[in-house]
Amino acid sequence: MPTLTYLQAISSALRDELRADERVLLMGEDIGVFGGAFKVTDGFVEEFGIERVMDTPLAESGIIGTAVGAAVVGMRPVCEMQFSDFISCGFDQLVNVAGKMHYRQGLAVPITVRLPSGGGFSGGPFHSQNPEAWFMHSPGIKVVAPSTAEDAKGLLHAAIHDPNPVCYMEHKHLYRRVKGEVPSGVFETPFTARVARPGSDLVVIAYGAMVSVALEATEDLDGASVEVLDLRSLVPLDEEAILDSVERCSKVVIIDEANATCAAGAQVAALIAEKGFESLDGPVIRVATPDVPIPFSPPLEAAVLPGVDRVKEACRELLAY
Amino acid sequence: MSSSPTDLLVDVTMPQMGVSVAEGTVVAWRVEPGDRIEAEATICEISTDKIDTEVPSPATGVVTEILVPIGETVEVGTVMARIATGANGVAPAPAGKAPQPLDGSTVGTPTTETSSSTSSAPAGNGHRRYSPVVQRIAAEHGIDLSQVPGTGRGGRVRKQDVLAFVEAAPVEEPPLHIESPYRPEPAASVAGGELSRMRRQIGEHMKRSLDTAATCTTWIEVDMSRVETARARLGVTALAFVARASIDAIREHPALNAWLEGEKYTCHTDVNLGIAVSLGDDGLIVPVIPRAHELSVEGLAARVKDIARRARGRELTPDDVRGGTFTITNPGQYGSIMATPIINQPQVAILDFEAVIKRPVVVTDADGNDSIAIRPMTILGLSWDHRALDGALSAQFLATIKRNLESVS
Repeated sequence: MPTLTYLQAISSALRDELRADERVLLMGEDIGVFGGAFKVTDGFVEEFGIERVMDTPLAESGIIGTAVGAAVVGMRPVCEMQFSDFISCGFDQLVNVAGKMHYRQGLAVPITVRLPSGGGFSGGPFHSQNPEAWFMHSPGIKVVAPSTAEDAKGLLHAAIHDPNPVCYMEHKHLYRRVKGEVPSGVFETPFTARVARPGSDLVVIAYGAMVSVALEATEDLDGASVEVLDLRSLVPLDEEAILDSVERCSKVVIIDEANATCAAGAQVAALIAEKGFESLDGPVIRVATPDVPIPFSPPLEAAVLPGVDRVKEACRELLAY
Repeated sequence: MSSSPTDLLVDVTMPQMGVSVAEGTVVAWRVEPGDRIEAEATICEISTDKIDTEVPSPATGVVTEILVPIGETVEVGTVMARIATGANGVAPAPAGKAPQPLDGSTVGTPTTETSSSTSSAPAGNGHRRYSPVVQRIAAEHGIDLSQVPGTGRGGRVRKQDVLAFVEAAPVEEPPLHIESPYRPEPAASVAGGELSRMRRQIGEHMKRSLDTAATCTTWIEVDMSRVETARARLGVTALAFVARASIDAIREHPALNAWLEGEKYTCHTDVNLGIAVSLGDDGLIVPVIPRAHELSVEGLAARVKDIARRARGRELTPDDVRGGTFTITNPGQYGSIMATPIINQPQVAILDFEAVIKRPVVVTDADGNDSIAIRPMTILGLSWDHRALDGALSAQFLATIKRNLESVS
């Protein structure tokens, strides 16, 4: 099995899909000749041509709207938002057109929207956001967020195959930092959670870049047995896996890199309050970015994003409770 | 009885005693309000249309109220009583007299026993709070949380603490001797003394048969639909039909109508049919219908009735109980369905005819289609002497009786 970076795994999934399925096409800003802002599609235009690896105008609404139309007539478009922050310009096409098409007209919209998200590199308020919860709140759209190279490939395959619009949250911070063995060829990772590390005293629930933060923070926590649950899919949310972890561990820390209010973790906390109450041995603790834009300043950014130290502190507090 | 916010009230509800049971009646309360009760101890007795049963307490604690008085019938799920299981659930019962049960009657004595044990609970734990999981585990294991040492912040009882307490709960000490010193009261003897002459005779006869014969029992299921219709028409018992069907089967398999005395085997031409007649507490006797093969169903029915009447009237002569070649026993009026009868020596077989019960059975029509029908069914049992014959013959014999009974017109 080849060892790939998270970014190479995404490229590999796209390349395999383009080779395997002539309905698949890529659309995005500077993804063709330039190979994409992060070089995910580097060299693609040479192999697949400009009709399948399309450079588009700087208009997210146009990219997604065109993709919706293509999907309705049988294509499998994969749109790249150069930064997930820019999705706001395509919001109406995604939320009101793509998400509701099935309910209004009974038409499937099998589009995948790749959303390079997250901070940690002094990208500032327009290039560092985690907008996944916007789409969790919008019916008709699935949302997935891989944390490993293998899941990056498998979830992207599954997203492209899915008959619904899927927001694929790819975390920029993981692009070249996360590596792992990745099976070759087309395979699907199910839209379910994954126990990244089993444990019994406390469970840290996270997704995307926060999974590695959770693993690092709890690797050696005074001998406590800490489970890390990687959600992988936010819509659908794997309630069974979450409640199973809560029942075993009884203490829960939930991490969001997104702003705290109404984040994915808030939904998880609500689920636990509703269905896991009798398993709890302490308050459900959330660690998230405060409700402020992500600052440019490196020290300020480090102060707002959930880091290893904050997660450690939260876990220690809860373990001692 | 006051309850503090830390008390957890557990409802005692009318349990679902069976799929079709929708309500139950409270027959007796074993506790009064204020009594302490352990989880699983009987809190009350209920009666449903199917059975009477004891209701175990769902939790350990103090009974705060009884909501359904004795004699009242309520739906399944109705709250019958409440038990406080929180910190105060272990507080001593109020000093004053506990309220009387709602019907004012005295209930069982266990109340005084259980309430006295509450005095050992320590006071002053009213301010502890427990997380949902801790309360749940405590309730499941009947644990008094005030006894559990807490290692969490401020002495809080954590899940680990209550689990450790469960682990460390003292196990009951095994007895030093396997044999209990307890000796039960000698059973009250109503009618002691020597066995009656008849009982001794029956005992000797049965024991000798078992010691002599190689007794095997074979069963066959018979659809009695046609017999039931015919017997209703003729106004006779099903036994007469079974007797006639057996006699006809003996015609085909005469080896069953025989005596085996030591090495000497005698097959009979006449069927002298023995019918076992119960004499109630006194015992059992087997009068014989001689030359039963000459009788019709109605004739057999009349003779069975006659010998039974005379047996119960102690009017049988020794000749009436001699010379039997085959015996039928018919204890099915109480609903029993199978038995392993003991052969009436020196005969080689005895047929057991028990209750006829309606059952769902698979029936096949002329076109070979299967369906399920309700049919009056019985199980005929044949005990036979393996010294005289083999299983194949006994099975053939039973199959012939079955065929005869199922083709009664």
